[in-house]
Amino acid sequence: MSEKQLLKGNIAIAKAALEAGCKCYFGYPITPQSEIGEFLSLEMQKLDLGYVCAESEIGAINMALGATATGTKALVSSSSCAISLMQEALSYAASDELPIVLVNVMRAGPGQGYIYPSQGDYNQATVGGGNGDYHTIVLSPSSVEECALMTYRAFYLSQKYKNPVILLVDGFLGQMAEGVELVKNPYPEIDNSSWILSGANNRDSRKIHSLEPNQDKLNNHIRNLSAKYKEIEKNEVDYEKYLCDDAEIIITAFGSLARAAKEVCNHYRKKGVRIGLFRPKTLWPFPYQELGELSKKIKIFVDIEMNLGQMLKDVKLALSSGAKVSFIGKPVGDWLKLEEMIQGIENIIKENQVASL
Amino acid sequence: MTTKNFIISGAGGQGVLSLGVALANIFMIADKFVSFCPCYGAEMRGGAVNCEVNVSDNELFILQNSKADFVVAMNQLSFDKFISKVKENGTIIVNSSLAKINKTRDDIKYIFVPLTQEALKLGNIKTANSIALGILSGLLGNILFDNVKKIYKKALKDKTELLQKNLDAYLLGFKYIKEKECV
Repeated sequence: MSEKQLLKGNIAIAKAALEAGCKCYFGYPITPQSEIGEFLSLEMQKLDLGYVCAESEIGAINMALGATATGTKALVSSSSCAISLMQEALSYAASDELPIVLVNVMRAGPGQGYIYPSQGDYNQATVGGGNGDYHTIVLSPSSVEECALMTYRAFYLSQKYKNPVILLVDGFLGQMAEGVELVKNPYPEIDNSSWILSGANNRDSRKIHSLEPNQDKLNNHIRNLSAKYKEIEKNEVDYEKYLCDDAEIIITAFGSLARAAKEVCNHYRKKGVRIGLFRPKTLWPFPYQELGELSKKIKIFVDIEMNLGQMLKDVKLALSSGAKVSFIGKPVGDWLKLEEMIQGIENIIKENQVASL
Repeated sequence: MTTKNFIISGAGGQGVLSLGVALANIFMIADKFVSFCPCYGAEMRGGAVNCEVNVSDNELFILQNSKADFVVAMNQLSFDKFISKVKENGTIIVNSSLAKINKTRDDIKYIFVPLTQEALKLGNIKTANSIALGILSGLLGNILFDNVKKIYKKALKDKTELLQKNLDAYLLGFKYIKEKECV
């Protein structure tokens, strides 16, 4: 797998899923993620694995509930408006503690919107669109290489915590290609023999369901889930810092847009303005503590997103007192151009009278 | 070469995306950082299609640029649409078989070549994109023919006749730009 290849983000995800041991794919075509299903439909037939082009997105995600309940690694991929259809099943998967890996290659919304790329599903992914007290782990890649690496991580974390994981990819990253060397899956297998529905034979029978009429038992179940979420928050927060150490301004951004933001940092560094980038790689759990730590000495933050300020709320929650955050954003379509970001930051620098300009 | 940006544009079926993919692959195996970004969506044979290719010695951060060093326009529609996207002192290669020779800017270099007619002369209209790649290669001067062969072989696999036609087309474009004064 080590030769360098020109790969689309979508294909990197599909290849990594197979390498991670994915045995089933359920989906329904939708731009801009259709290449995942297209690629797997061919490859999984060759490998004699389970590929189902479902009758609907609701069918697809519910098939994954069934597959993962038997301990089979399963992948579901779709895009924004169709991910909305899957929210009920995600809530069930969280309650049933099923390790579904769901890829959302985001397009424009709300409603049907259009196929233009966007980062508009941050809220849906991180807060959750289903009912009840639950969380899904949300990973956010910013390059094709990370699309593969985070697919590995998604399968691993889903198994480790028996929890659904969303790989939140922007449409631009899903469609673009770059040269990558795919590495092998670095994560160990997790033993799931204690809970999967594998046929009782000589052991006690098991059942997996979220219905619980006994009030005390239901409370306990939710408290147990909550304790698990706390564990995830403690162990799995991941982020990247770029030129942050001596920075006087910090940009926060996620996904492929964060990459463009690095060039904004480079641009200003040449002019003597020390700008750095803080990029959450896990959107849930969000790196509140790490960002908060940065804001103890740096007071000017600029959040840049391809939506109208969804991660902005989490950035605000993270910042310690005295630090303030401005926002640059655009809802959908062509990514913010370098010139647009530079212009936006130019104004913020003036407002804050940053000394070195 | 530090960073070079390319926009390839034309009609679906003219090999616009294939040309972009080949260009990115050729530089990738020459150990450059490359990115390939297609327009996507409800595209179809005959409809407008374009892609952006970026090539650099350094890691690429900006993958969508407002302007490009080189634009290839395979028909009138894409010529009209992308003429404004050529950087100052940049170059546009226009398929003059399907677009009128018309110079509206004096800060860029125009290269008009009847790509479709030349491809027909070679015996396969589908090779027009390879002629364009040959022209790009002639202008850039840092593409190894061995790498072109490698990538073409990989893409066309056992279609040996088509492979040879495309390599001929590539060389025709390469020589065209070296030998002829292009209007």
